[in-house]
This record gives sequence, structure tokens and C-alpha cells, in this order.
Amino acid sequence: MAGLSIENVTKRFGETEVLKGVSLDIADGEFVSLVGPSGCGKSTLLRIIAGLETQGAGSVRIGGTPVEDQRAADRNLSMVFQSYALYPHLTVGENIAVPLRMRRLNGVQRLPLVGGLMPGTRAVAREIGQHVADAATMLEIGHLLDRKPGQLSGGQRQRVALGRALVRDPAAFLLDEPLSNLDAKLRVQTRAEIAQLHRRLAATFVYVTHDQVEAMTMSDRIAVMMGGRILQCAPPDVVYEDPDRIEVAEFIGSPKINILPLEILPDGRLSLQDRALDLAVVEGARGVASLGLRPEALRLKSGDSPLRGRVVHSENLGSEMFVQIDVADLQERITLRATPEQRGALALGTPVALDFDLHKALIFDADGARIRRLRHLNAAASEVA
Amino acid sequence: MAVIDVSMTDAPRETTVARATQERRAAWALTAPALILMVIVLLAPVIIAGLLSFTNYSLGNSGFDWVGADNYEKLFTRSTYEKMFIATLTYVVTVVPLSVGLGLGAALLINTLGRFREIYKTIYFLPVMATLLAMAIAWEFMLHPSIGMINRTLEATCGTPFEVVPFIANGCADRFPLWLGDKRYAIWVICFIGIWQGFGFNMVLYLAGLTSVHRELYHAAEMDGAKSAWDRFRLVTWPALGPTTVFVVTISCIRAFQVFDTIEAFWPQGGGPNKSTYVMMFAIFEKGIQQNLIGIGSAITMLFLAFVMFLTLIQRWLVERKVHYK
Repeated sequence: MAGLSIENVTKRFGETEVLKGVSLDIADGEFVSLVGPSGCGKSTLLRIIAGLETQGAGSVRIGGTPVEDQRAADRNLSMVFQSYALYPHLTVGENIAVPLRMRRLNGVQRLPLVGGLMPGTRAVAREIGQHVADAATMLEIGHLLDRKPGQLSGGQRQRVALGRALVRDPAAFLLDEPLSNLDAKLRVQTRAEIAQLHRRLAATFVYVTHDQVEAMTMSDRIAVMMGGRILQCAPPDVVYEDPDRIEVAEFIGSPKINILPLEILPDGRLSLQDRALDLAVVEGARGVASLGLRPEALRLKSGDSPLRGRVVHSENLGSEMFVQIDVADLQERITLRATPEQRGALALGTPVALDFDLHKALIFDADGARIRRLRHLNAAASEVA
Repeated sequence: MAVIDVSMTDAPRETTVARATQERRAAWALTAPALILMVIVLLAPVIIAGLLSFTNYSLGNSGFDWVGADNYEKLFTRSTYEKMFIATLTYVVTVVPLSVGLGLGAALLINTLGRFREIYKTIYFLPVMATLLAMAIAWEFMLHPSIGMINRTLEATCGTPFEVVPFIANGCADRFPLWLGDKRYAIWVICFIGIWQGFGFNMVLYLAGLTSVHRELYHAAEMDGAKSAWDRFRLVTWPALGPTTVFVVTISCIRAFQVFDTIEAFWPQGGGPNKSTYVMMFAIFEKGIQQNLIGIGSAITMLFLAFVMFLTLIQRWLVERKVHYK
């Protein structure tokens, strides 16, 4: 086990700059997710850590040792691939044994027939068999050891791929979208199992995914990547509640955060839909800004409000309900989280007024950076209007 | 009650039976043209050849006599046919492994190329596209003992350090081989031309096979500690090429059994010096067509068919049992 340290790593494929100076420190035993939309460079970063790609500049250290001059096979990392990449001609048991056979037996010992006659081969083979059996027991695939990958279901293959990764004791586990080929139900189940596995092994995990729910539910920390940069790396609740940038706020959270246009008046006060709020910025530029409101920060209100509109769509999930409201003068609909008991007041076409807690409002400047220094003008009444 | 019961259950059963019969008839009617064609074009000639192999029939004769297994006995006792088997097996055993191996090697090398891929592909594939008969004539000129390009080139090495090679030293001291006129060399020249002509085809098949190898498997192999090219080949490439290899080997075997053009072009009368290149196809042609001994020609044909059938069965068995990893 070891920590990983990535410093100013860049990478370009031809003209396209995929990574623009990425730095990330991962502690020993930590579970870090790299999350972002496709094409953000997260898989490339993982493959650079693995040694399957070489970085343009910057350094990668595993347990404090620079690994630039080490090829992937020498870095002692395990990887689980999106396609599982199991060897189709080998049985499950043989697949899991490959990493150990490659490392503990030499070329001659690995030869069929002849290898068995070499001194020491049998003892090592027995040891490998024991490790394979242990890994299989841990993943509950002991009964599948004699099957070929072609005879397994997606979920079973996924376990075999995990088994092959954890049969030896690597410095860290790298997982490249391992759940994206599973169906929704199996994904939720495997998600929990991988998280448990991480707790049990207490090993370093780097997990690449485009699914923010996976990242939120499994990780110690989430690194949100976009356009070849890490925008924020923090624990899941911090990334959700306290995002550094508007892109992070928009990417994390489902349904998506509501973004409303805001104006910063010359005196620093914020104005929404031409109404001044009891909130002002302390410093910085005036002019256009954005207000981010999570669906749960919004409330229904009777009476006057800057946010008035009609219910255009609602989704009742049983335990909660998401309602889309079309507000005049706004291009995008606003999503509100409500309880199913409120559905009487939220029939399609009903005019509603919305209200929100100013303490939960996230203010972003014109560039999308978060404005954290705010002044509440009316400390007692933090409601709008 | 009972009567009603019977009629209620039987009526639908009768209609389904009738429909099934009708469907079966339609199926036979639709397959009939193909079946008839197959019998006329493929099965009947084989059966006739099988029957003729037990006779002494000649084309033009009004009748024939049944001679039992005489023709087959001749095949296994006469020295001419012993030479036929030796020549055919030498050719197959030499050409198949070498053309498959070279095909695979060339495919692996070309697969690593970026820019000149297409050029190399074309170069190696050219002999496949050329007519073998025309190529044989070109080779005959090149192999001519005195004016041929090959012996001229070899003569040019006389007096140079190349003379340390015993073959060249002997050639300079005495003379270089007659190639096509020498019974020690003739079959190997034929083998060489067969490999030269055939491996490009195998290479193309292997190149197609290589495109289906999953790229991520190589990365997995690297992560698993497969450091050398040989390890990666053993772990990923070779198993993935299993189905291709079975196909390539079968095709190469059948093509090797069929070798005829070069021999006919080099030695129209009689299968090489001392019958050293008297392969099966040529024997069939010589006996059955040139000498009009239909009976013995048919017997060789049946034997030929048996070999090909055997190979095909092995291929099917391999394909089903092992290489598809199901």
C-alpha cells in the first residue's frame, strides 16, 4: 500500500491538450474518485498513473518514489478495466492467477509441460492456487473458477476482473469506469461492495467515473475534472454543498442545480429579477453574476416573490418529488424538491411562487468562480422579499 | 359429454398437424433446387468417381470390368506412387508451417507499422494476385542453370568472403546446382515457390484476425506483469488468433495438397527429375487425363478427397472444441 502524488501533469494528443497541469495528492488508503464529463481527461490521468500513457510533463510518485522511468508492469499497481479485459481462453481461476504467475514464475517455468518439471514450480503454483482461492472466496466466485469468461454474466465478469486486481498486494488499485457496463440494479449493489472492499483492504483506490452518484456514494474525496483540469478535490459533502466553481455545482447533484442570472448592483447588493436581495458582496467586480440554488433550497411560498411561474412537469419518486417550474424571463426551468404530500398544490399548470434560504444560495461571478465573502443585510430575516 | 370433449380437443390438434405437414412440404419444396444442384454438381461426381476407382474404365471404351481394389493396391505397392506420397507430404509438411509462420510474422510486423503499412501489405500480397503459371515461367528463367539470374548471382560471389559458406565454395569449385534438373533440389524449389506465393494470403488473413484483438487486453497484460513481447504474444495475441490460425492452417493444407501449376509448367512430361515432384494433383492429371487411365486416376482422387475431408473434420472439431472459448 502506498499513497500517490501527481504534480503538474500535462498531456497532449496531437493538437488537443488533454491534461493542462493536473496536481493531486492521494493519501495511503484513501478512496479518490476522478469524476467529470467524457473527454475531460480523467481516464488519461488514470492511465498516466498506471504507466500505460506517458505524460508530457510533470511527475507521478507512488509511495514517494518517482516512477517516470518505470514501465506499467513494474509500478505494482492493479487496474480494473471498463471492458474487464479478461483473457477469453483462460478459465476464471487462470485469469485471476495471471498477475501472480507473471511475477513469481520465470519464462521457462511458465511453459506448459516443461515448466512443471522445473525445480520450485510446483511449490509456487500451489501458493498461487491458494491466493486465487482466497480472492475467489472474498468475491464469492469460488464456484466459477473452472468456467471461461464467455460463460459468465456481466456482473460475474466484473468480479473476476476485481479478483485479478486484488489477488496480489498492489500499491494502489486503479478502476476505470468498472460499473458502466452493468445494469442499474447490479451497479447499485456492486457500488456498495466495492466500497466495502475498500474498507476491508484499507488500500488506496483511484476510481474513474462519469457518474457523479458513484463518486458521491463511494469516495473519501472527489476530484471533479473538466477540460483537462481538476476544478475541485474535496470530500463528497463539501463538493456538493460548497462548490468552488459553477461547473462543479452544475456537474455534481441530481437533479441539476438551478442557475439563475443575478446582477451585482454598484453598491454590492445582489439583484434577482430586478429585485434587490438582502445579500451583498463584500468586494470584487460589479455586474453580471449567477445564483445557484439546489432543488432542496427552494420552498413554496404564498404571496409576492421574484420567482413566480407555472408547474410544467413533475416527477414523483415516492419518497420525494421533483417539480419543474417555468418562470417568466428565465430560459431554463427551475427544479424544486417537494414532498409527495404537497402534490395537491403542484398540479400541472398551477401558478406558484418560490422562496429560498439566502444561506443556501451559492453566488458565482461572471467567470464562474464562487463568491464566498457575502454580507447579509438583514441578519434576522434571511428570507427573500 | 365425452363426445363433446373429444371433438373439442381434437379439432385444433388436427389443424395444427395439417399445418405442420404443409410447412414441411413447403420447406422441402424450397430447399429442393439447392439439394438437386448439390447432388448433380457435387455428390454425383464424387460417387461416380468412387465407383470408377474400382474399374479399369477408359474414356471412349464401350464397357469396363470391375477390378476390385486393384487400383488401390497399385497405389500402395508401386514405387511411383510411393514417390507421389513422399513428394506430396514433403510439400505439405514444408509449405504449411512455413507459409503460416511467415504469414503470421509478416502480419505482426506490418501491424506495428504506421505509415508504410499499405505498401508492405501490397508487396507481400503481389505474388498471391499473380497467376502462378505465369510466375512459374518467370521462375524457370531465373533458375536456369547457366543463364539464370540466380546462378549468375551466386557465381558473382566467387572470390569474395562469401566463399566461407560451404554451399558457395562447392558451387565455385565445381558448378552451382541445376535446380529444376536436380532431384535433390527440385522439390525444395517447388516448396520455396509455394511459400513465396502463398504466405501473403495468410498474412492478409492474420491481419484481419489481428484487428479483432481487443486493445485493452494488451494493457491488462502489461498491468499483470507481462513485460516481454513474447509474454504478450503468448497471453493475448496467439490465443486471440486461434480461430484465424485454424482457418489459415486448413486453407494452407488444402492449397498445398492442390499444388499443380508449377509442376505442370516446369515438367509437362512427368513430375520432375526422377519423379521427385510427382505430387497427387499432377498424378491425377497424368493418369486420368494424359494416359486415360480413369480407374487409377479416380482412385488417387478418392484418396485426395479423403485427405481433404480429414483436414476439414479436424478443423471443425478444433473450431467447436477449443478456439472459440465458449
